[in-house]
Amino acid sequence: MLQQLANGVFAGSIYALFAIGFTLVFGILRHLNLAHAAIFTAGAFVGIEIATRTGIPIWILFPIVAAIGALAGLLLERTAFRPLAGRDDEHFAGLISSVAFGGVLIALIQARYGTEPKSFPREYFPNQLFQFAGIRVTLTQLVTLGLALALMLGLAWLVSASSLGRAMRAVAENPTAARVVGVNVDRITAGTYALSSGLGTVAGALLALNLGQTERSLGASVELVGFAVIILGGLGSLWGAMAAGVILGLAEALTIHYFDSTWKGLVAFALLFAVLVLRPRGLFGHLKVREV
Amino acid sequence: MLAGYDTLITNIALAVILAYSFHVVLMAGQLNLGQAGFASLGAYISSLVVPAEPLFGSLSPVLIGIPVGAAVGAGAAFLVGLPVLRLRGVFLAIGTIAFGEMVRVFMNNAEWTGGAIGLRVEKWVTVDLAWIVVAVLAYLFWRLGPSRIGRAFAAVREDELAAGSMGVDVVRTRMTSFVASGAIAGVYGVMFLYFFGRITPTTFDFSLTLGGLVTAVLGGYLVFFGPVLGAGFLTAVPEIQKALGVEAGWIHPFITGLLLLAVILFLPGGLSTLFARMRRVPAAPDPDLGALDGLPPLPDRGTPIARVRGLGKSYGAVQAVREVDLEIRSGEVLGVIGPNGAGKTTLVNMISGLETPTAGEGEILGVALGSPGGAHRFAQAGLSRTFQHSKLFDRLTALDNVLVGTHAISRSTYLRRLFWMPSARRDERRARALAWAQLRRVGLAERAHLRPSALSYGDQRRLEIARALAAHPTLLILDEPAAGMNHVEAGELAALIRGLAEDGITVLFIEHNVKMVLDTCTRLVVLNFGEVIASGEPHRVAADPKVVEAYLGAEEEESEHVR
Repeated sequence: MLQQLANGVFAGSIYALFAIGFTLVFGILRHLNLAHAAIFTAGAFVGIEIATRTGIPIWILFPIVAAIGALAGLLLERTAFRPLAGRDDEHFAGLISSVAFGGVLIALIQARYGTEPKSFPREYFPNQLFQFAGIRVTLTQLVTLGLALALMLGLAWLVSASSLGRAMRAVAENPTAARVVGVNVDRITAGTYALSSGLGTVAGALLALNLGQTERSLGASVELVGFAVIILGGLGSLWGAMAAGVILGLAEALTIHYFDSTWKGLVAFALLFAVLVLRPRGLFGHLKVREV
Repeated sequence: MLAGYDTLITNIALAVILAYSFHVVLMAGQLNLGQAGFASLGAYISSLVVPAEPLFGSLSPVLIGIPVGAAVGAGAAFLVGLPVLRLRGVFLAIGTIAFGEMVRVFMNNAEWTGGAIGLRVEKWVTVDLAWIVVAVLAYLFWRLGPSRIGRAFAAVREDELAAGSMGVDVVRTRMTSFVASGAIAGVYGVMFLYFFGRITPTTFDFSLTLGGLVTAVLGGYLVFFGPVLGAGFLTAVPEIQKALGVEAGWIHPFITGLLLLAVILFLPGGLSTLFARMRRVPAAPDPDLGALDGLPPLPDRGTPIARVRGLGKSYGAVQAVREVDLEIRSGEVLGVIGPNGAGKTTLVNMISGLETPTAGEGEILGVALGSPGGAHRFAQAGLSRTFQHSKLFDRLTALDNVLVGTHAISRSTYLRRLFWMPSARRDERRARALAWAQLRRVGLAERAHLRPSALSYGDQRRLEIARALAAHPTLLILDEPAAGMNHVEAGELAALIRGLAEDGITVLFIEHNVKMVLDTCTRLVVLNFGEVIASGEPHRVAADPKVVEAYLGAEEEESEHVR
């Protein structure tokens, strides 16, 4: 039981990491970026390739993966979102263009890595086991949890306390007004995508590290849970996404414990459905849903 | 020659059917992404209730399955729609995705579905049957376009508030498109089942939904055969690739992705944009003075048509409107003035049913304020309005904008159009004649085929008035109609309003252009801080010291508006 709960927390921290990148873009730019799952998958493959080729240690690997993700994010913003700015159907078109971008990215992954799953090299990362109060925890899991926490806290600090974060919040509130007072909205938009995608690739590489391997459907498997996380947490709410990620991880773990692992998908979506219908702003969200 | 391509051609047909289930919600601007769930329910339940062998020896199971699938899909969509349609945009999309996933997980775990292994049935779908279904759907959508419900879809897509104010029942229209989408998805599920002879829960997963959405968007909703364009285009890619001898598996998704990106960036309405541009522009009918005949008579001059007592609206601690008593009699032109923030717009929003009062009561054209149903009930009772910031339907032509205005006084034509009934044609012709008559009245007949964005600001305001007039209103509410007009235009507008009053239309209008108000209205009401501070004969009210102090006292600010 405790073991299941611990596993739930670990899984939840990855959900949360996936979701904060996703929710960051939505919260600030109101774009639903459906390419996020593909970027997440790319992070896993790129991480494995770099680890295999160079064998560099993990604390160098992740910054490199994040940097590559940031570049991908800039490209995504440039090709799939910026050309749509100002159009009547900007938000809807962005949904489709990001699906297209994601499709292209997955195709490129297939071109480079083929269709077989790829694994981290054996012994790349020591898989030590620890025991606390009857719970078995691997070093990978601890690193995952630590890294996820550090990234989430770092992001929260960035958004709430730095000048970049202030500009981001200004854009979220009102892009036109932000532009008038001298915020470089285009740069903030690009920066938001870079940040979001950097987080996404790191999350992908972390999940691959936990699973030991990755395949092209890695992102798709997390994407739907990611939706659930951001809705539960309240679209655009960072703290909400973090909390909701862990709640979902725990809920899944409990379902597996009491029912059967095949039912776990239902919990996430039943929760999501209930929250959407009963409390559309999410459990922790304070985002105002404007209809007019 | 086509023999070897049967499977391919049937696959295209299936893709078209799936895309139509997105097409119908896209037309109404609703992002339903639950089609996989509706298709799954349709297929599984059909496999459960439809006998495996042909009924009466000849009725193939798929022919029974199709109505079963449609009914199951429609029913499920209705039940899901009740809670989910309170959501909009991205939230609606995610909510419906969640529904689809719940169905998938459920099917995976239920026993009668065969779990993850799935079900097998005999294959009954032939290439002919698949294309007959496509043809029927295409026909249904062809007849939908220029019908009353088709226009309601477009209006709801473009602007729900304006659609409601034109008498369109927004809730019902959204539900109609949602249920139609569920029904088509259910048919798709059944077709899939009896074509491949096998389904598993993962047949109907999120990637299926994305595929259908992409096909529908690629094809575009501007023409009724958009889904055919989309599916044909997407199928052509791997075929061309095969013909060129390119084998690599990644090329196909790569090219599809790039093409999709190109289409969405450069052809906002999808491939249908190419065809919509070719559509011929119908010429204006001859001025048909008879167009306005046969409309119900307006109430006799002087009859009370609206009355509110103690009306109030507060937003939290802010009292926008308080204790307003007002009676409106047929045939009068009632001007409402007051400084910015005096509560004028809030007052007319309550009178037109867009906002519910927090205090007081009233009856407008026989409809009690605060009664359920919202703005469209007032519109159907004969109230029509324009907005302070024009709410035109941006992607419709000026003529189509005004045609939506006829919604409240026309009958549904869709079902009759399906059977080519002459009465439907008559009704449509009458609606068009009415629309043209109103466009002429405001002087926009020459610009009937332009979109609102191509019109000058003053023309946009006039277009909105034409749209409101097309509803043959008893009471017309204009919210700052002269804002942004120069004084020549404002003078023309004043003449138009006086002309409307002569025709017996009651006009209530908010305006900052005091000169115009005094020239036009028969009675003047002045609001300040949400309260009526004066009311009566215009020039006497304008001279009232209270009014001068509260409103005209701010001479410098107002002179800007008068210009």
